[in-house]
Amino acid sequence: MAMEITQFLLAAQSADAKVRTEAETNLRQFQEQNMPLFLLSLSVELSNDEKPVESRRLAGIVLKNSLDAKDAIRKEQLVQQWMAINVSIKSQIKDFLLKTLGSSVPEARHTSAQVIAKIASIEVPRKQWPELIGSLLNNMTQQDKPAALKQATLETLGYVCEEISHQDLVQDEVNAVLTAVVQGMNLADHGPEVRLAATKALYNALEFAQTNFENEMERNYIMKVVCDTAMSKEVEIRQAAFECLVAIASAYYEVLEPYMQTLFQLTSNVVKSDEETVALQAIEFWSSICDEEIELQEFESPESGDSGPPHSCFIEKALSSLVPLLLETLLKQEEDQDQDDTIWNISMAGGTCLGLVARTVGDAIVPLVMPFVESNIVKPDWHCREAATYAFGSILEGPSVEKLSPLVQAGLEFLLNAMKDGNNQVKDTTAWTLSRIFELLHSPANGFSVISPENLERVLAVLLESIKDAPNVAEKVCGAIYYLAQGYEEAGPSSSLLSPYLTEIISCLITTADRTDGGDSKLRSSAYETLNEVVRCSNIAETSSIIAQLLPVIMSKLGQTMDIQIVSSDDREKQGDLQASLCGVLQVIIQKFSSTDETKPIILQAANQIMLLFLKVFGCRSSTVHEEAMLAIGALAYATGSQFEKYMPEFYKYLEMGLQNFEEYQVCGITVGVVGDICRSLDDKILPYCDGIMGLLLKDLASSELHRSVKPPIFSCFGDIALAIGEHFEKYVPYALPMMQGAAEICAKMETSDEEMVDYGNQLRRSIFEAYSGILQGFKTVKPEVMVPYAQHLLKFIELVSRDSERDESVTKAAVAVMGDLADALGSNIKLMLKESAFYDEFLGECLQSDDEQLKETAGWTQGMIQRVMVL
Amino acid sequence: MADDSSTSHRRDPIKSSVGNVAAQRRRQNAVTVGKERRESLVRAKRLCRVGATGDGDVPVEENDMITDEAGFLLDTQTSSAVEELKSAVAYQGKGAMQKRVNTLRQLRRLLSKSEFPPVEAALKAGAIPLLVQCLSFGSPDEQLLEAAWCLTNIAAGKPEETKALMPALPLLIAHLGEKSSLPVAEQCAWALGNVAGEGEELRNVLLSQGALPPLARMMLPNKGSTVRTAAWALSNLIKGPDPKAATELIKVDGVLDAILRHLRKVDEELATEVAWVVVYLSALSNFATGVLVKSDVLQLLVERLATSNSLQLLIPNENKLMQRKCTLIVVLRSLGNLVAADSHTISTVLVPGHEITDGVIKVLVKCLKSDHRVLKKEASWVLSNIAAGSIEHKQLIYSSEAVPLLLRLLSTAPFDIRKEVAYVLGNLCVAPTAGEGKPNLIEEHLASLVQRGCLSGFIDLVRSADIEAARLGLQFTELVLRGVPNGDGPKLVEQEDGIDAMEIYQFHENEDLRNMANGLVDKYFGEDYGIDE
Repeated sequence: MAMEITQFLLAAQSADAKVRTEAETNLRQFQEQNMPLFLLSLSVELSNDEKPVESRRLAGIVLKNSLDAKDAIRKEQLVQQWMAINVSIKSQIKDFLLKTLGSSVPEARHTSAQVIAKIASIEVPRKQWPELIGSLLNNMTQQDKPAALKQATLETLGYVCEEISHQDLVQDEVNAVLTAVVQGMNLADHGPEVRLAATKALYNALEFAQTNFENEMERNYIMKVVCDTAMSKEVEIRQAAFECLVAIASAYYEVLEPYMQTLFQLTSNVVKSDEETVALQAIEFWSSICDEEIELQEFESPESGDSGPPHSCFIEKALSSLVPLLLETLLKQEEDQDQDDTIWNISMAGGTCLGLVARTVGDAIVPLVMPFVESNIVKPDWHCREAATYAFGSILEGPSVEKLSPLVQAGLEFLLNAMKDGNNQVKDTTAWTLSRIFELLHSPANGFSVISPENLERVLAVLLESIKDAPNVAEKVCGAIYYLAQGYEEAGPSSSLLSPYLTEIISCLITTADRTDGGDSKLRSSAYETLNEVVRCSNIAETSSIIAQLLPVIMSKLGQTMDIQIVSSDDREKQGDLQASLCGVLQVIIQKFSSTDETKPIILQAANQIMLLFLKVFGCRSSTVHEEAMLAIGALAYATGSQFEKYMPEFYKYLEMGLQNFEEYQVCGITVGVVGDICRSLDDKILPYCDGIMGLLLKDLASSELHRSVKPPIFSCFGDIALAIGEHFEKYVPYALPMMQGAAEICAKMETSDEEMVDYGNQLRRSIFEAYSGILQGFKTVKPEVMVPYAQHLLKFIELVSRDSERDESVTKAAVAVMGDLADALGSNIKLMLKESAFYDEFLGECLQSDDEQLKETAGWTQGMIQRVMVL
Repeated sequence: MADDSSTSHRRDPIKSSVGNVAAQRRRQNAVTVGKERRESLVRAKRLCRVGATGDGDVPVEENDMITDEAGFLLDTQTSSAVEELKSAVAYQGKGAMQKRVNTLRQLRRLLSKSEFPPVEAALKAGAIPLLVQCLSFGSPDEQLLEAAWCLTNIAAGKPEETKALMPALPLLIAHLGEKSSLPVAEQCAWALGNVAGEGEELRNVLLSQGALPPLARMMLPNKGSTVRTAAWALSNLIKGPDPKAATELIKVDGVLDAILRHLRKVDEELATEVAWVVVYLSALSNFATGVLVKSDVLQLLVERLATSNSLQLLIPNENKLMQRKCTLIVVLRSLGNLVAADSHTISTVLVPGHEITDGVIKVLVKCLKSDHRVLKKEASWVLSNIAAGSIEHKQLIYSSEAVPLLLRLLSTAPFDIRKEVAYVLGNLCVAPTAGEGKPNLIEEHLASLVQRGCLSGFIDLVRSADIEAARLGLQFTELVLRGVPNGDGPKLVEQEDGIDAMEIYQFHENEDLRNMANGLVDKYFGEDYGIDE
């Protein structure tokens, strides 16, 4: 039976670390000794209204975490663990949870709803909890049930819908769920709590309503209820209803036509006069419509008449009313608006939506916006000038260059002058608009630019003057310089245009980076990133001597960071941020110089000192390594080639540290990438370090703590290592290959409804193939037989992937390539296996038809390799 | 949302500053660069062998460089040629014969194509049983010829590939018979020659299956190429080490005559192959040697050596699988074998004063003068055999043109030749002995040769790691110590650092040499000679 664990759960939240640790240990022991009983005890705790809220809360959290994790591999383990539990115990747990939905304590109800959804995510797709929906609906249909139970039940239904796929339910169940939810929104029957819960549940259930939305009567009913709810007197319910409308705009765009008139009225009223939280959702509705139409336009084939989903041109039809509505919002700036990227208010949302409208309709927006711009930009009220500039900046993407160029040409001088405006926000937006102009209308490489060689000097003079303005303005000016420089990248003769100004630009950017009035590091980071872009895009033949002078400057700045006095953790963070920026600059300089034979010696000469600096940067921290320094070391390894060997003894421990950094998973990921860089530079000279590296990589893979995004690069890294050390990889095969096979099996079982998961699955598959490719190529000439026992599994995996229509092009490439590698390396060993796999012919055929030259080439090569095997 | 995040729809504002995005983009770029480098590295590894783009119909060009790829294509074509042969053999309809011949010819061409014929591929594809089937009695000559040709080329492969011919041997032997057309018989002989060349085991199989008599009979006619092939096959077949086959061959009626007849011919290649037969006959079988010596063979060999106006002896057998390179060496070797095999030969045939004897010495001198190392060595070897003969033989050589040449060779030639030369010179200085004991000196020869500077050559041999050469050196040193007139021997040996050379043997592991060297040092240089130094 369940155990009494209240004391432990309370102690685990104690302020006393000793008590806390002891309690955590006890709980962990219990969990390890008897998982089923542990979970049962937690559910008992959660369901018991006599228990303190605190212990129940923690019980719920622990329960939830025992069922779900962010990491796919960890999650799979948890699922298996739950499924292994005795059915009668599971059913007791579920009963306790369902019972908790009727609890008088809101928090217990809420937690229980979440846990039920997690169990549902495991059991419903496997048809192991058929009575769930029935018992939840039962709570709704009985009139005498308390409102709290109904509210919790609706919440649960919403969560369950979020967790499972609509295919997991039969249509009857979907209908019943939707009916229960929509009825819960009914004003006449329910209080606000139930209606809010119902509206939120509907948000999650909308995905299930495809069949219902196809049926006009049902659709009309749902739309009516949602629109009614959108006019509820409770703000929260109105907001929730508008969120539903936003979701409907995305999911059911093609059936919205009959409702658009009503919806325009509804949103229009809200944008004009409702509370901001609701108004933001109303604007979001139109942004979502834009998203849909932009997507339709992007996928529209030039020859119309394709049987794609219809484009209803809602934006175009609403344009003349919608644009003024949005322009209106631009005038609602906050007085002392934080000039921060995180700011989100009605004018920001309105401008963003305006930008999307411009991208949707193109030229048509220009005549609707320009009068607003022209009349407001000269007004004495800064709100008007700022709104006018913002409007102009927002519509620069979408309309044609031909349409915009004359306007920008005419307005450029005005904008340059506006950099001297008396209002900070006006200057901020003006600088941003300039950066948009340079981003979108300055592309000498493509033959157009609003900047002529003649006015470049004037433009730069203004920018380099304005960069001394307030930090928020200076930051936007950095953006303008960034895109200005980017335009000249590989722009033929035009790439020389910026060269004469380079020294001055660089010195201004460094001065800006050194400013201390920014309050935080944002300005500095923008200045350095702009410096990076200026360096990256510069004409190397003309500017290498300038950049060669920059190198010691940056190195000395990085050296000085070691002397910063560290008193607080704040100081340490500041030091780290500064080092990050400087390492970033070094990375770009190294990359730039190692791209040509003429400039590479500059890096080789300084390599010892640079490396010394990086090692010192690492030395500034005790347990973590510096992400940017790591990244720069990757560039240095490439530049120095096998010379990098001499740094390995010193550097290795930081490599280890990086590979062990589970919390800062980006650091871990970058370190994995650096291992690859070093492999390519050192070849088999990396061998002495491989035991350590492989050990850590394998640990990383097995870890459930490490963010999943690092795992694909680790598999790719196996390939890098194998390529570098060839047959010496043999001793890692018994460890690495089962991991690869395991990951391949997870790919096979992966959820395909979640876009993010599909993306991850593609990354994982590609990386597994890359690992196989590297290993096979590494063994090819010396010990191919090592890989024979793994060939069958790999072939099956390739087959599985080849049958997946969702697969990404890059996965296809990797799959085809690895098939060739398999044939190339193992030769006649796999003849029989290939004979038995009929799939490859069709797969190769598909690839050979591809428009992608590289894929075609690889497929041709693979075909040759396989033919060679088949005739042996 | 189940994870308590109540933040509702929220998109990135259009107005943002560049810092974060740029850093993100830069890091992304750095990561992408790594990926691109990985891709280009793997691509380079994959495509380093281009050409396998699946076009199986590309004909193999006449290319000196047999690349992997060409070899691969050849293998592919061979397998499919065998497959075609399979269906051609099974096919019984109209034009079946032509079809078989065509497919056989195709296979044969593939097997003849490169320096590394696709034998393995042919065997893997199951060529042997099909080829055996094609050799069946009553098959048209064209088919037999092509099949035997294929087998010939397969037999030229690696040992295990040659062995694969086992099932075909009885039919190949059967087709050697008189009823077969000459080209077929010749081709079969060729195939069998390849098989016999492989080793003793296969030779014994062939002999037990009766390959020798029909091959021997093929030597009888005057058809050049057939005789040549048969002679070559025979020389492979009787290689021994068992002398039985050689004896059997010489006993076959008409073979000796045929040998003599063919050796008289101008056809150099034919003579070479026949001479090889003589080499093996004389090397292996005393019976055969006896028969040969009594014939005109010796005379013929000397004539051949004498008339060969150039000593450009490398006559490669183009387009043949036979590995014979030269004529003269073979002839010389035959001569040497005959001279060495039987002391009787020397005393009764090479009688000093006879024309033949002068002739032999003359051709040997000619060989010593040649630029060819093997000829010099072989000639020295023959001379040493003759020098081991009677006093008259020794005097004959001593007074011939050979001695100055030999003396020069002793100081300048490579080791293997020097050793042979030393035997000749040594033999010249000792008289034939009737019984045991130290050989008697021919003082005149010894004194003269030493005076002409041969001692240092022998002392060099003393220092040699080759036991046989060292013994020869020591023996000659003993002759000098003992036999140079006026007791000048020890002085001469000392002058040539002979004592040092002998002291190497003070503690030598070879007891015989140790005793000999120590004995000489003790006897001629006193007990304490070495210690005083």
